[in-house]
Amino acid sequence: MMKRLFLLVCLIVFYGVITVPASRYLLDRPVALKLGYTPSSEAIKLVVGDQKLLLAESLVIKVLFYFGSLVEKSMNRVDIPPEYYGMFKTLKTAVMLDPYNQDAYYFAQAAFTWEVGHAEDVNKMLIYGMEYRDWDMLLPFFVGFNAAYFLKDYEMAAIYTRRAAEISGSDLLTNLTARYFYEANHDQMGIAFLKQREENTKDQGMKSLYRLRRESLEAAQALQRSLERFVEKFGHQPEKIDRLVEEGMISHLPDDPYGGEFYLDSHGKVRSTSNFSFTRGADAVQDGQ
Amino acid sequence: MVHTLFVARLTLNALGRDRVLHTLLGVSLVLLCLVPAFSLFSMRQVQELAVTLVLSCHALLLIFLAIFLGSSTLWRDLERRHTSLILGLPLSRSHYLLGRFFGVGLFLLLFSLCYALLAVIAVSVSATFYEADRPVIWMNLLAALGGDLLKAWLLAAVAFLFSTFSTSLFLPLFGTLAIYSAGSASQEVYEYLNSDFSSQISAGVRWLAEIFYWILPNLTLFDLKTQAVYSLPLDIPALIYPFIYGFVYTSLVLWGAEFFLSRRDLV
Repeated sequence: MMKRLFLLVCLIVFYGVITVPASRYLLDRPVALKLGYTPSSEAIKLVVGDQKLLLAESLVIKVLFYFGSLVEKSMNRVDIPPEYYGMFKTLKTAVMLDPYNQDAYYFAQAAFTWEVGHAEDVNKMLIYGMEYRDWDMLLPFFVGFNAAYFLKDYEMAAIYTRRAAEISGSDLLTNLTARYFYEANHDQMGIAFLKQREENTKDQGMKSLYRLRRESLEAAQALQRSLERFVEKFGHQPEKIDRLVEEGMISHLPDDPYGGEFYLDSHGKVRSTSNFSFTRGADAVQDGQ
Repeated sequence: MVHTLFVARLTLNALGRDRVLHTLLGVSLVLLCLVPAFSLFSMRQVQELAVTLVLSCHALLLIFLAIFLGSSTLWRDLERRHTSLILGLPLSRSHYLLGRFFGVGLFLLLFSLCYALLAVIAVSVSATFYEADRPVIWMNLLAALGGDLLKAWLLAAVAFLFSTFSTSLFLPLFGTLAIYSAGSASQEVYEYLNSDFSSQISAGVRWLAEIFYWILPNLTLFDLKTQAVYSLPLDIPALIYPFIYGFVYTSLVLWGAEFFLSRRDLV
């Protein structure tokens, strides 16, 4: 009996001796080992049968945990560069297995645009996801945001923000779409979109807001056209916007419904001191502009 | 028919007393209790992860049960010479075979029903943690569970078929497992072979793969998990095809099993 007890105690001690360093070894494994190697989605699909969704979610959670542990370390001033390539590849495999997986798209947007600047790759993934999650307004919104903010592609931004606005019915997104169309020199598309939303909304307040935005775009569009005529006639940009009236390109400078004043920026684009928003207009007034 | 039902009842009673199965039921209960906690690992799709976990556990447990019971039920009778006793009864071999199969099938059905009840509770609890984009469509969840059950019946029939001509337990066990793996992948392979990417594959390999595609059970047909997890619309063909296909294929396999059993020396 004593022998058995002694054996048990020895085994427990040995277990304690081995398990602590083993656990430490696992914690300190290289990043590549922690994240692991994920085979291609085509290969995985052949062997997982009907467990594709579970595997996809487990891959996403693996990436989330891995990233979370790095964030925790960086907060404790331990700086380990994240293995972004492996993370992104794992997420891509996950969405190929489960194209509806919301976590994968949201995490890709959060981690790979601001930190790494891979907005273009993220947009490709999000556009792929939009084919499946056709009810989710956030995916086209992310694409539109990435296109405008990171890629400066306002045409793409306008197209996808319009889609987000159509799915959500959000007034904010409708106005943002119109603004992107304006930045992309597609004022007419912006105006048409606002008109359509204006006609389809029942809320009188929103109708007024859409009308206001449309009228401001129409005013800017009229000025832009007269500016193009000026450049065509004189071969250069006018020094000031007032020259358009002086040279008879337009009868008078239209009012900005947001209360600002129109001017020409350094790229020859018609802008307003209101920046087509009441807030900016109020700030401008306060600043004495 | 009376004889078949009698054997089915005996089989069901015997399975109800099996301790291994009691353990398995306990395991499934523990897994379902853990679903709400595990579903919180997801960032934004807590409800969806809960449904995924519930359906995955159900599918795995049913496949295990189908292969284990389908392989061992008939094989045990043959191995222990119980069949020589049965031969003395006024009972045909086909009634005996069908009775055994219905007993196993009924057990799988009862297991699925109990599981479905607990699964609804587990998903309902998880859904309260985080508001999903789309609420659960319970009919979709039940349809997905039903699809898994049809698949399990088919696999149990395949295991019965192997048991009728095998003298060892290995063939029914691993043969059914192989059929399950191949049947799960056959649709992916078929779609790959019909895509532009497969132009370098020889015509002979394609032809062989196509033959296997039509002969092997197409288990992808029974997979309705995506519709259940993401509350996608479930059209009528998606419901009808698995049901009819499962019934016809299982019947064909059982016909084969009866054919081999009727020619086997049981004395």
